Amino acid sequence: MNAIEIKGLNKHFGRKHAVSNLNMTVPQGAIYGFIGENGSGKSTTEKMLCGLIQKDGGSIKLFGRDYTNPDVRSKIGVLIEAPGCFPNISVWNNMLIQAANLCIENPKQEISRVLKLVHMEGAASNKFKNCSLGMKQRIGIAMALLGDPGDPALLVLDEPINGLDADGMRIMREVLTDLTQNHGCTVLISSHILGELEKIATHYGIIRKGRMIAEMTAEELERDCRTYIALKTRDMHSAYRILQSRYERVDEDEADWLRIYDMTTPEDAVQFLYQNGITVSEIKTAKISLEEYYIDLMHKEGKAYDAYKR
Amino acid sequence: MTRTRDNRFISKSFAKRLNSMLRVDSRRMFTTPLFYIMCGIAFAMPILILVMTTMTAGTTIDNPQTGAQTTMDMFTNTWQIIASEGGNMFSMAAPAADADMAGGAAAMGMNMDMTAMCNINLLYFMAGVFVCLFVSEDFRSGYAKNLFTVRARKTDYVASKTIVGFIAGAMFLICFFVGAVIGGSVAGLSFDLGAAGVSGLVMCMLAKIFLMSVFVAIFLIMSVIGKHRAWMSILLSLFLGMLLFMMIPMMTPLDSTVVNVGMTLVGGAIFSVALGAVSNMILKKSSLV
Repeated sequence: MNAIEIKGLNKHFGRKHAVSNLNMTVPQGAIYGFIGENGSGKSTTEKMLCGLIQKDGGSIKLFGRDYTNPDVRSKIGVLIEAPGCFPNISVWNNMLIQAANLCIENPKQEISRVLKLVHMEGAASNKFKNCSLGMKQRIGIAMALLGDPGDPALLVLDEPINGLDADGMRIMREVLTDLTQNHGCTVLISSHILGELEKIATHYGIIRKGRMIAEMTAEELERDCRTYIALKTRDMHSAYRILQSRYERVDEDEADWLRIYDMTTPEDAVQFLYQNGITVSEIKTAKISLEEYYIDLMHKEGKAYDAYKR
Repeated sequence: MTRTRDNRFISKSFAKRLNSMLRVDSRRMFTTPLFYIMCGIAFAMPILILVMTTMTAGTTIDNPQTGAQTTMDMFTNTWQIIASEGGNMFSMAAPAADADMAGGAAAMGMNMDMTAMCNINLLYFMAGVFVCLFVSEDFRSGYAKNLFTVRARKTDYVASKTIVGFIAGAMFLICFFVGAVIGGSVAGLSFDLGAAGVSGLVMCMLAKIFLMSVFVAIFLIMSVIGKHRAWMSILLSLFLGMLLFMMIPMMTPLDSTVVNVGMTLVGGAIFSVALGAVSNMILKKSSLV
């Protein structure tokens, strides 16, 4: 059974289509990286999933049940945009309020547990408004983790890494990995910090202008993210021309490296350039990152969209 | 390697859900400064009104253009600030003992009857402001996101807010009553209840308290319409409250009986449930963020 199954989801605000015929499948136990530009419909989708805004069409199922089912919804932990805390009361009391909303049996123990998980036990007595941005994010994550033993079954995190320092990011990685691997929790996480997402996500969904343009597992992404050789010479322009005559795809990246894709060993390219009178000064083997893959995909989609519009 | 698990989805009873929600809301209400500020205002208001108006009672103002005289006819009895016998809103005549004085004042040109404008019924508007601010804080702080994600049923929220709003309103009325007694003593006003008697006063207060539930249910609808826009909720609440304002003195006169209490109790319960259903529908059909 899938944790989330969305079919033909639609939402428009006035004449603007925020989400158009979106399909999405998140298997149980996955960390699903939900990626897209600003305004692509990520948060709108997440809000619909949590029942915070009404959908205009389509279906949403959580663990095989309709998303409006109260029993399923009580198993969701959420951090959308910013933690929903009252600014003038303490962190502890804010946590107590959410624990009461979840009807947790031992709220004090549970709150201590989740605050400890995000290393925020020292901030429990602080007023929420006096916490820094990073602290607020950690508290928001802790609040989303609240639940009876084994809960939440599903975590929906919208930009949870924003404002976190390196240590905060590491803690979050550890917590999410532990939740999915040892407790079978499912995580839907959207973020613009793709490098961080790449370290933990097991599945990806890429959304553009309200449409899901790609869904894949981390293995599939790994396969798609081609390896390449990057090199530098004194005469980059000539080298580029020479390499293009022999290799199918050669590019020059932003850092002025010449890239030859789908190559794992550099000997052939180095020798070919040498035969043509060009000496390679620097060379490295690398792989396309998620960020590069994403930018490339967006670029292609943008061109396709523009062509379609024309 | 990910691991799947068997999720058990257990239903929680309405009583359990309402209990937990009430704990949250009452804790919030009793820790928010707004509640105590409003209780303070409700307490101080009758003292200020009774003392200050007694100081200016009987003053006559001449209008130089028309030559008409305006008499500042003020409170002659402490209970005038709570209610009048028979529930007449426009001429809140004093209880029997002072009836002749009130009648005499009315005969003198234009009668500025302070008792009709400044009395306990103003607290219904104050309760409206409180409910609107209390509910809007849920949406403004983002707490509504956390709440409605895990609480798909909106009934708990509506029921809890109605009960807490009602308790707050009742507290305001009690504070006002205590303030009125102190204010009346300081101003040296009569405490004569006339034909109404103590039982009439007690029934009147009970009826006013139960009537509060009707107003709270209306204010809650306006609050869930306005959501984080407190100003909008307050304006809508004041407007609707104004339309129903005339109902208060008619339903809760100083000589109230068990019938008045019963009517406001049953009416309050019916209106709370019916209007609560409307609030519930609004929350279900509208976006919550």
